[in-house]
Amino acid sequence: MAKFSLQPTPFLGGFQKDYGTVIIKEITDRAITSLALPLGFEAKAEKAIKTVLKLNLPEVGMSTQSKDGTTALLRLGKDQLFCLKNGENDGYTAHKALADKFGDNIYTTDQSDVWVSLTLSGPDSLRALERVCPIDLHPDRFGVGALARTAMEHLGTIIHRNSVAEYTLMSASSSAGSFLHAIKTSIDNVL
Amino acid sequence: MSQSHRISGGLIDRTKPMHFSFNGKGMEGYAGDTLASALLANGQKLVGRSFKYHRPRGIFSAGPEEPNALVQLRTGAAQEPNTRATVAELFDGLIATSQNHRGSLEFDLLSIADLAAPFLGAGFYYKTFMWPKAFWEKLYEPMIRAAAGLGNLSMKEDPDTYDKGFLHCDFLIIGAGPSGLIAALTSARSGAQVILADEDFRFGGRLNSESFVIDGSASSDWAAQVVAELTTLPNVRLMTRTTIYGAYDHGVFGALERMTDHLKSSAGKPRQILWRIYSKRSLLCAGATERPIAFSNNDRPGIMLAGAVRSYVNRFSVVPGKNVTVFTNNDDGWRTASDLIAQGVNVRALIDVREGVNPPDLTGVEVIIGGLILDTAGRKALSSITLKNGRKISTDCLAVTGGWNPTVHLTCHQRGKPVWNEDILAFVPGGTLPAGMRVAGAANGVLGLSSIIKSTAETTIEILQDLSFKSKAAVLPVTEDEAQSCTAFWHVKESKKRAWVDLQNDVTVKDIKLSYQEGFRSVEHLKRYSTLGMATDQGKTSNIAGLAILAECSAKTIPETGTTIFRPPYTPVPIGALAGRARGKDFKPYRLTPSHLWAEANGATFVETGNWMRAQWFARAEEKGWRDSVDREVTMTRASVGICDVTTLGKIDIQGKDAAEFLNYIYTNAFLKLSVGKVRYGLMLREDGIAYDDGTTARLGENHFVMTTTTANAVLVFRKLEFARQCLWPNLDVHLISTTDGWAQFAVAGPNARNLLSKVVDAPLDLSNESFPFMACAELSVCGGTPARLFRISFSGELAYEIAVPARYGNSMMDVLMKAGAEFDAVPYGTEALGVMRIEKGHAAGNELNGQTTALNLGLGGFVSSKKDFIGKTLSQRAELNLPDAIRLVGFKAVNPSDALLAGSHFITKGEQTTMENDQGWMSSVAYSPTLGHSIGLGFIKRGHERLGEMVQMVNPAYGIEVEVEIVSPHFYDPDGVLQRG
Amino acid sequence: MIIKHPLLGPRDAAEFVYLGDASMIDRPNPNAPDAKEQFYEYGYLRDNPAGEHKELWYHEQGDRSWLVVTRNTITHEVKYVQLARDVARAKGRDR
Repeated sequence: MAKFSLQPTPFLGGFQKDYGTVIIKEITDRAITSLALPLGFEAKAEKAIKTVLKLNLPEVGMSTQSKDGTTALLRLGKDQLFCLKNGENDGYTAHKALADKFGDNIYTTDQSDVWVSLTLSGPDSLRALERVCPIDLHPDRFGVGALARTAMEHLGTIIHRNSVAEYTLMSASSSAGSFLHAIKTSIDNVL
Repeated sequence: MSQSHRISGGLIDRTKPMHFSFNGKGMEGYAGDTLASALLANGQKLVGRSFKYHRPRGIFSAGPEEPNALVQLRTGAAQEPNTRATVAELFDGLIATSQNHRGSLEFDLLSIADLAAPFLGAGFYYKTFMWPKAFWEKLYEPMIRAAAGLGNLSMKEDPDTYDKGFLHCDFLIIGAGPSGLIAALTSARSGAQVILADEDFRFGGRLNSESFVIDGSASSDWAAQVVAELTTLPNVRLMTRTTIYGAYDHGVFGALERMTDHLKSSAGKPRQILWRIYSKRSLLCAGATERPIAFSNNDRPGIMLAGAVRSYVNRFSVVPGKNVTVFTNNDDGWRTASDLIAQGVNVRALIDVREGVNPPDLTGVEVIIGGLILDTAGRKALSSITLKNGRKISTDCLAVTGGWNPTVHLTCHQRGKPVWNEDILAFVPGGTLPAGMRVAGAANGVLGLSSIIKSTAETTIEILQDLSFKSKAAVLPVTEDEAQSCTAFWHVKESKKRAWVDLQNDVTVKDIKLSYQEGFRSVEHLKRYSTLGMATDQGKTSNIAGLAILAECSAKTIPETGTTIFRPPYTPVPIGALAGRARGKDFKPYRLTPSHLWAEANGATFVETGNWMRAQWFARAEEKGWRDSVDREVTMTRASVGICDVTTLGKIDIQGKDAAEFLNYIYTNAFLKLSVGKVRYGLMLREDGIAYDDGTTARLGENHFVMTTTTANAVLVFRKLEFARQCLWPNLDVHLISTTDGWAQFAVAGPNARNLLSKVVDAPLDLSNESFPFMACAELSVCGGTPARLFRISFSGELAYEIAVPARYGNSMMDVLMKAGAEFDAVPYGTEALGVMRIEKGHAAGNELNGQTTALNLGLGGFVSSKKDFIGKTLSQRAELNLPDAIRLVGFKAVNPSDALLAGSHFITKGEQTTMENDQGWMSSVAYSPTLGHSIGLGFIKRGHERLGEMVQMVNPAYGIEVEVEIVSPHFYDPDGVLQRG
Repeated sequence: MIIKHPLLGPRDAAEFVYLGDASMIDRPNPNAPDAKEQFYEYGYLRDNPAGEHKELWYHEQGDRSWLVVTRNTITHEVKYVQLARDVARAKGRDR
């Protein structure tokens, strides 16, 4: 029956651009799974996360990641986390695999295609972000691993400092074009 | 013209000459000049005409308080009116013109208004031009508007761009004069995150304008040294050309940074940036603003503030006149004379209103103690003054000072009320200051450089300790306090002619007295009636004198009289800066459906629905209008199969052990017993019993549901569900997350829908009616392994499915569905065909769920459970919502099939008058039904369900439409639902 | 305004959606004999004090939590902020 096959279209066509002192790059191979902690069974859920992902439950507004950098766990709220897995081209299947491992201990939802993800790196990233991001990103207060969910140019955005020199920005995939425009304008305006 | 009034010294860069023009006349200045200083350097005294009387006016100040010298900068689309020449930084190629005159600046035809002055006093427009009434709008107002006013807009789109941004700091210092610099130096060394902002392009404030000595060097040099040190510190952000224009709640400030106003071209970069600054603490170091004294004809070009004269002489190396006279009520005025002498300028006289004072020895200057100026002369520039004793002194520049007012504006932005300080005869900050704010230096009423430095350093250390920063008292620079004594003297009472208080609005002493006589006795009333303190300068130089005169009239003190409240912005903020990037197509973000690229390539016309861009129809070359396309899409779908991107419907993933119970509270109908693998229609009410939203919810697992909402309400329903989950039923184990953007979802509708889908779904899913009946759902894979979800639901009334794949495959999926459907003549359809088919089927949508209708009205009473609690249940049972003659949703068709129907029309029972009392209901949705060959409508009419077959009048008085229509079942198409179940 | 989120720290009010009087948490018991009267009051009668007020704010551009913010409506001073779910539980909402 497989007469037809489906081809993925990255939300920004795999956009990347090197501005010299800022580099933007669309991430197209990341699975995003939301994890919800069942009410009254949070301890069990935390244990399951430790067993399955080998990661500790981070505080709200913080993240942890595996040593090899392939898996990150972002605590968005009291009972909600995002598990990011790099190098996954099929988000839904990666989510299913994770869901099977968690069983009843955690409710999972595939979020891979809900979000467009961009990395922003380079010495002028912070200057560009000043024009769109209301969050205080000073390294003393927004260290490596910190994350915040906020709005940039009216678009809901998760900003995550995943390393000393790199931020990940996630926003709704349907408005990916407007989001990229907002980020590009911010860079153009400061360079 | 050569720079006839330029002298040596100053803080201008003579290696960078700048050419500019004023009213077409070429002139030259230097880098470091303002337009005002450059005009004065070129001997240009007359720069504008006054607002009301078109009196000749010159430059009055050297700062943001300027009431007179408003000019137009640049040309064409970039033209900017009402710019204060005193803060406009000179650049090479600047084109400036004067404003508010007809004919040339020198011979303004409208100066005739000055002769009519006796008729144009305070509130004249409330008294004259009252009759005949109709003339006001048509004649008087346009006439006054044309004559009075300021500059002109270009009426072209602003060619510049603007940006916004966010800054965070521990400590915001507002103003970089002596106070601000000391505060910055003290705090920067402690390691705190500091922002130092000043509206000027050069830090230093009055240190650049005065001949002070600090640590043995010129105060401007000391300021430059401090700035140099601050520049090296990474924890300090220095913002020149930045006005902190508003103090908002909780330490938030609005700031306007002028990025390219001092450049000839913005070169594609934002002209200005509107910053939102979040601060933990702030220190207002805004300094003080000098005030004049009012006397007859005190508005001639050449009469200016004494401190401004010092600024021009010391900072800009410009002499505003060759024979200067000083008029003062305070010691500070004396320094004007001594500074002028030091620069070799001829000082004709120093006139001090006070008796018994002893100015320092000013060699060669006539000192007149207890002197008063009664009048002045000089048509377009000052030529002489007349003293009380009748003596005339010829002079071309009069430096006037009536003392200094602390610049308290920002302290008032959160209800702070300034208090009167009798020592300095001025209002100082008082009442509740904005959260985290303190005030230092002259802004706090401290006059005297040494005292300013010492007290600011102390305040700063207290703030740093409060923020837990370690700081040690810095070694303070050595300087001294100037003589500051001042007497209360606001206007020369002996003046017989008009004495100007507010130069910008042409308000005189007499106007204020008249307002008082006419009963406008509170300061706020005085302001509105006389226009004192309005417009671009907001009375920065005039308010206190105005208050003092009002106080005199009422024999009250100034503190008893009170002051008007200052509100943001401190100085004008361009609308363009407030708009920022939100212009044109960037006004709001756009959301695209996953098949957008495919739709674009296949002739779609798009429509904005909320932020979404949706395909409205797909025109074919031969089609003449949208109706041709829509009719074809409907007909072909009903005949075979059509495909529509329905991704925009909200999708909410709901999981948890209590998810079913939760849904039972949300929807009017029961969800507890919905089987896994089934979909159910659900209706939500508001708590007041009115219908809110509807959609289908699928049960994918025991603890797992997927809800769909209408496109418009997706965000609102999510919010409401979170409210129910957290606030109303907080102990349920239920979790919500939006998946709207995650799945590309397509309706595949029509008799061949099953045949088409069977070509793309993978085994083992069996699409037969027996194994996958109406309202079934499943997780499956398509096209050889791509994960998907399938729902057998129908909005069109056809045999239909909605198939969902991860959004990244959406565009490809649309293409595949069309290819697989080629053999069935599959057609893509847009929102219009979707709408036509739902009206044909009689489904309620946004037009019907409009916030006024109940389940009963909508004919959905059967979906309302009587057995369980749900949001809206109790109040939906109110008698008022269940009256016997309640409106009901029914269908309508014209008796004459060629008549068109119009949504928004109302219904009148046949034979009755078209009146509000006879209103029976309204038409909510209409469409031309290509299936039936005539227009059809859905609407609400009283007892509609009992009136099927009755003829009523559809009336629309706004368009003069009256059509006889028949009440019919809302289900025009397949009323028994045979097709969708087939 | 700045709302001090109990989990996330100070955040700009622009990230929030305002609902109003926190009495919206106190949804009446639909089985009470005077349920209609209670729901009428719940739905239509709100306090609008000039001074301290408990209000519901929703962190829509954030962690999606509903908060009860105790705020002075004259000075805008925020006294304290609680998670609405904790408040609702403390009030004894049974499900």
